[in-house]
Formats: sequence, C-alpha cells, structure tokens
Amino acid sequence: MKDTDKESPNSTFDPEELLARVENDRELLQDLLMIFKEEFPGHLQALREAVESGEGKRVVAAAHALKGMLSNLAATQAAAAAAKLEQLGRNGEVSQFQEAFALVETNALRLLPKLEAYIAEVHK
Amino acid sequence: MRILIADDEVLSRRLLQKTLERAGYEVTALENGRLAAEQLCKRDGPRLALLDWMMPELDGPGVCREVRKRNEQSYVYMVLLTSKEAKEDVVAGLESGADDYLTKPFNAEELKARLRTGLRILELEDRLVEAREEMRFKATHDGLTSLWNRGVILDLLGRELARSRRERVSTAILICDLDHFKNVNDTYGHPAGDEVLQATAKRLLSSVRSYDFVGRYGGEEFLVVLNNCNPAFGLARAEELRKTIAQRPVQTSSGVVPITMSLGLLLSQEWGFRPLEELLQEADAALYAAKEAGRNCVKVAKPSAPCDIRDPRVEKAAT
Repeated sequence: MKDTDKESPNSTFDPEELLARVENDRELLQDLLMIFKEEFPGHLQALREAVESGEGKRVVAAAHALKGMLSNLAATQAAAAAAKLEQLGRNGEVSQFQEAFALVETNALRLLPKLEAYIAEVHK
Repeated sequence: MRILIADDEVLSRRLLQKTLERAGYEVTALENGRLAAEQLCKRDGPRLALLDWMMPELDGPGVCREVRKRNEQSYVYMVLLTSKEAKEDVVAGLESGADDYLTKPFNAEELKARLRTGLRILELEDRLVEAREEMRFKATHDGLTSLWNRGVILDLLGRELARSRRERVSTAILICDLDHFKNVNDTYGHPAGDEVLQATAKRLLSSVRSYDFVGRYGGEEFLVVLNNCNPAFGLARAEELRKTIAQRPVQTSSGVVPITMSLGLLLSQEWGFRPLEELLQEADAALYAAKEAGRNCVKVAKPSAPCDIRDPRVEKAAT
C-alpha cells in the first residue's frame, strides 16, 4: 500500500500524512474513515444536485464541505478537484461545472476502495 | 481549559475534538455558528474558540462580531479556520474580531501552538483583572483595617439615607471613637495602636449584620451605618457595639490593652430631610457629649424640636 503511494507523489491519498494528522491515533483514524464512508455519498449527491441546478452558491457550499472532508483525510487530488469546483462556483462559471464535477467524482471514487483497504489494514 | 469548536463538517469536527482533548482541553463541539455565539456570549462560557469560517446560520466572522459586541466580560480568544483558497478573506476575518486564523487542513502541532498563544493572552488578562480588582479594593478600603475608607462609607451612607427616606424607614448613624487612643500609642507604641485598630474593626464587623456598613472615618474614629434600623432598637444596638468593644482587652504584641469606645448615635427618621453633613455634625456632637459624660457610653443625637417629616422639596412644590 505504502509502496504504491510512494510511486505517485501527488497521490489519491497519503496515509503517512493522515497518520500525522491524527497524531498516530489509529482509533481516531478509523473513526474518521467510518465517518467519511457514511457522509461521503450524501455530500457527493448534494454536489451533483447543486451542479445540476447551476446555482453557483449551492455549488460553492457543497464543494466546500466535500473539500474539507477530503483535505482532512489527506486526499490531495480529490480535495484539489473539489476546490476547483468551489472556485468555479464562486466565479459563476456554470459551463464548467459538469466537467469539474466529473473530476471530483472520479477522484473520490478512486479514493474509496483505497480507504477501505486502509481501514482493513489499520484494523489489523 | 475549556474550548469551543464550531464546524458544520462532522469529520473535521471529530478530528478537532480528538486532537484538542488529547492536548488536555475540555471540548464543546457544535455544528453551527448560532449555537457557538450563544455559548460564547454566556457569562461563564468558554474563553477559547475555534471557529470554522463557513457555517450555516452564522459564519465564523459573524460569531466573532456577536462575541465582540458584549462588554465587561472576560475576553474570548477566537481562532478562525479558513481554507487556503480564501486567504484574501483573512483581513475581513481578523477585522470581524478574530484573534488569529488557521488554514485547513490544519496541522495538529501548529493548532496547539496557536492555542497556546491564546492561553497566554487569557492568562495575561487574568493577571490584569486580578491587579485591577486589587487596585479597586485598595481604592475603596482602608489599608490598615480593610474596612470601607472614609470616601466610600460616606457615599454608602448617602445612598442608604436616600433609600430609607424613600422606603420611610430609619437608618442609624453611629460615630464611634476609641477612648484615650493617644495613650495607647504613647504607652504601647504605634504598632500596638495599629493592632488595636485592627481588632476594633473586627469586633465592629462581627457585631453588625451583613448588610450594614462599617468604615474607618478618621484615625481612631469609625462610622457604622445600620440599615433599616428600627428606632426603638437603635440605642440597644449601639450599646451592643459598645459592649463588644469593651468586654475584653486586646491582645497585642506589646501586651494586653484594655479598650473602650464612645459612641454618638443618630436615627435618621427623627431628623427628617436634613442633609448628610448636618446629620454627621449632629452625630459628632452626640459623640462629644458621650466623651463629656465620662466615655465608654452612647449618647443619642436628638433634634431640639420635633422634626418635620414631610419632604421640604415636596413642600416647596406645593406652595
């Protein structure tokens, strides 16, 4: 797991950074991952609906919330994608919403199985 | 130390809470700004706060503004959490009353270090408040006896007289003077004289009710104000005070000093609406009479003619 992450410096998520963020508290880490698993689908759905509505304000709020979660989990790429969408929402660049959302979704969906695997590993 | 966290995002809230609990803080974690402002505005609310910028109901800067609107309460040290993209808002955040800001995702060490800065500020405030309270005490109390000082006891008496007139009750004014105090100083020395004054103050305080006032009026003179004192019992109360002082000598570092006290008593209801200065003069005259009568006794100031109990101001208005 660590090996694959070391291969790509701008990784989907960085377990070492994550561990540092929770100060090596594996129980807390597991807690956070569980919260993410629970909360993530709702947040993604809210973002999808916001994008479909074309309302900049809604996109900003939803993307911001998702970005917060992702960055706390050291999910650099996904967090950056959410940040991009938040910025687009702020600027009202509606035409680019869909594309940016797709990027958030792809990154986040790629993240999920990695987190799952990580939870299992931490669990051991 | 208590700290309040406000963040609508559950994961971030959990992370903050755990990090701070591990650092020894007692954490209150809330999910919106409105609740946070309510807690922080309470008189005994947390004095440290970590506030997310974007929150439903009331955002972080909004919370800061609400908290800063309060006055005369303990300082609340507030740190805003912002995302990197919003750095241009930092100025606005600080101007809303935040003390500091931290970018998300936060680094645990940096977070704790910044909160320690906050703790230093709060400790500094505590020390200043303590110093202010000490100064306030010194400005209102006599240094030797810790009784109210002359200025304050006169002020309290003035207010009490006004109140007793409104409520048509009587205030007893007692000017008390230790007998032959100069001899005490001359015979036992000034330190012993000070000890006698301190012991006298203690005895006076212990024999009045908690809502009566005792002040040091002059060198060995004390002013006692008995609030809402039934005139029928005024003399008896004064006698009690006299006995409390005389009943046993004071044990000083220079020996045992027997003491007695002369008192001039005035019951405000018998004097109508005479000004404070006049009442004090009359009470002082009664004290003088007590000294003349051989000391260690109480003399009551009596008006030569029955007083007009009607308010002269009302009278004037009527004619």
